[in-house]
Amino acid sequence: MRLRLPARLNPGHLAPAHQTRRRDSLLTAAAGLGVAGLLWLAQEFAGGYVVHMLCVAAIYATLAASYNLINGVTGQFSLEPNAFVACGAYVTALLTLSPLEKEASFILEPLIWPLSVISIPLLPALVIAGLVTAFMAFLMGFPVFRVRGDYLAIVTLGFGEVIRVVANNAQSITNGPLGLKGITQLTNLWWAWGLLAVTLFVLVRLVHSSYGLAMMAIREDETAAEAMGINAFWHKMLAFTLSAFFEGVAGGLLAHLITTISPTLFTFFLTFNLLIMIVVGGLGSTTGAVLGAMLFTFGGEWLRVVEEPMTILGLHIPGIPGMRMVIFSLILVTFMIFARQGLLGRNEFSWRWLAAVFKPRRRP
Amino acid sequence: MSRPLLQVRGLTVRFGGLVAVDRLDLELHAGRLAGLIGPNGAGKTTVFNLLTGRVRPSAGQVLLDGRTIAGNGARLRPDRINKLGLARTFQNIRLFNQLSVLDNVLVGFHGRLRAGFVSAVLRLPGYCREEERNRARAEDLLRLVELDHLSQEKAENLAYGQQRLLEIARALATDPRLLLLDEPAAGMNPQESAALARLVSRLRDQMGLTILLIEHDMRFVMNLCEELTVLDHGAVIARGAPHQVQNHPQVIEAYLGVDQAAGEAGHA
Repeated sequence: MRLRLPARLNPGHLAPAHQTRRRDSLLTAAAGLGVAGLLWLAQEFAGGYVVHMLCVAAIYATLAASYNLINGVTGQFSLEPNAFVACGAYVTALLTLSPLEKEASFILEPLIWPLSVISIPLLPALVIAGLVTAFMAFLMGFPVFRVRGDYLAIVTLGFGEVIRVVANNAQSITNGPLGLKGITQLTNLWWAWGLLAVTLFVLVRLVHSSYGLAMMAIREDETAAEAMGINAFWHKMLAFTLSAFFEGVAGGLLAHLITTISPTLFTFFLTFNLLIMIVVGGLGSTTGAVLGAMLFTFGGEWLRVVEEPMTILGLHIPGIPGMRMVIFSLILVTFMIFARQGLLGRNEFSWRWLAAVFKPRRRP
Repeated sequence: MSRPLLQVRGLTVRFGGLVAVDRLDLELHAGRLAGLIGPNGAGKTTVFNLLTGRVRPSAGQVLLDGRTIAGNGARLRPDRINKLGLARTFQNIRLFNQLSVLDNVLVGFHGRLRAGFVSAVLRLPGYCREEERNRARAEDLLRLVELDHLSQEKAENLAYGQQRLLEIARALATDPRLLLLDEPAAGMNPQESAALARLVSRLRDQMGLTILLIEHDMRFVMNLCEELTVLDHGAVIARGAPHQVQNHPQVIEAYLGVDQAAGEAGHA
C-alpha cells in the first residue's frame, strides 16, 4: 500500500524544472523588481528607523544565507562567522576612512603605513574585504578541516576568539578596544539589498548545481561521497571560503551602517544569533536562512512591546527591561520542541512549488 | 597472458594485535566476475576498504592496471582511487538519504565533472551541456536497475533491496572499470536476488565491467561467479572455480567447524 500524499505536497505534481525555467526566470526578475519598488517606497515615505532596520535585516539575511552554506548545506558545524564579519568590517573601514579621520582616531599608537594614507571608495573596499576574508578562511581551512563534527565546532570557535583578541590587541592596525569611529554612513537600502540579491543569486545557483549536490552528499555521508570520487576537503574549502567572502562583504556594509566598530561588536554572540537564524529557518535551506534572519531582526523589534508598561484586565504592569529576551527565549524553546526542523526544514522556495499550490487540485 | 586489471600482493593489515588481513594475494583479469567469500569476520570487507583507500595497509600493495594505488608508499585518497576506475557499494548501505534517488546517482558523476564552479554558478554552456548529459545518463542507469519510476523519491524511502540497487547505480555513475559489490544480495528475497544476479551478469557481459563481489548467499555466488577466493581469519584458505572450492575440506571446516564437518563426512 502506498501512502497517498496531498496533491500539493507530492513532488510528482511539479512540472519538471527544465520545462518552466524560462517562466521561472521571468517570475524571479518580476519579484526582484517588486521588492525594489517596495524598497523605493520605504526609502521615500518610511522613517529613518524603518530604513535602518531594513538595512540590518538584509545584512543579517546575507550573513545567515552564507553561514548556511557551510553549516547547513555542507553540514560542517562551524562557529566562526563573527571572525569573518569582524575581518570584513575592519578591512573595509580601514580602506574607506580618510587619512585625517584615521589620524584623529588612532591616538594611542599611529596606524601603520600604508593603511594610514589609503582612502578608496566603498565598492573596491568591499571587494578587497571579501577577498581578504576569503583568503583568511582558506588558510584557516587547512588545519580546521582535518577534524569533523564536535571537534570542528570547537576549533572554529577558537579561531573566532583568536580574531577578536587580535582585534583587541593589534593597536596599530585596529586601534584596539577604542575601535574605529567616524566611518561615513554609506550603507543604504540599495547597497544592503543589492548585496543580498547577489549573494542569493550565487548561493542558489551553486546549491542547485552539481557542486551543491556534492556538498550535500558530504553532509549526508562523507565516506560514501569520497568513495564516489568527491574530494571532500576541497568541497568543504569551497563552501567555507565562499561563505567567508560574503560574510566579509556584509561585515563591511555593517561597519558603514553603524559607523562605529570595536572588538566588542564581534563576540561569539554574533555567531550565536546567526546560528539561531539558520536553525529556526531550517538548517540547509537558503530560503529558511533568509526567513530566519528577517524574523529575528523584526521580531526583536516587535517584542519591544512587552517591555512597555501595560494594563491587562485592570492589572497595571510596569515595563520590565529585558522582558523581551525572556519571551524570545521561550519562543525559541517552543520552536525546538515542536519544530525541530525549523520553519522550512530543508525545503526551498521555488516557483514550481508555488504554481503547484495554486493549481486547482485534480480529483482522481 | 595480459596483465591482470587488479593485482594484490602480500596485502596485510593489523588493527592493534589483530591481523585482519594476512598476506593476501589476488589477481583479477579484466572482464572476470569473481567472488570473495568466507565466514563472518574473515576480513572480506576490510579487503574492500584496503582496495578503495579507506584503510591503509600495514604491508603489501595493490595495483590497478599496473599502477600502485595502495601500499608501497602510495597514499591515494578514496576519491582518487575512484577516479582511477574503482567503484564500490557498501555492506551497511550508505546512500545520501535526504537526497532524491536521481540526485544520488548524479553525485556519482560529479567527480568527473570538467566545468569549474564559476561555470556552474553562471550556468555557462559548457556546464549546462555536461549537466544535461549526466542527467540523461543518470536516468539510463536508473532504468537499468529498474528504479526510474522512483527517481524523485527520497533515497531513505526506498525498500531495502531497492536501496542496494541504487547503490549499484550510483557506483556505475562513476564510470568504473572494476566494481566491488559488498553483499549486494543481503536482505533480498529470492526473486529480487535472481534479478540481481541477472543484472550483475549483464554489467559484465554488456558493459564489460570487471566485478568482485562479497556475498553470503552461497547459491547466488556459486551460480554467478567464475572464480572464488575464500578467506578465513584474514588468510586465503582456498581459491578456484566454484565447484572446486565448494568441496575443499578447509572451506567446509571454516564454515561448519571441525567436528560437524567430520560428522557429516562420516554420514556421507
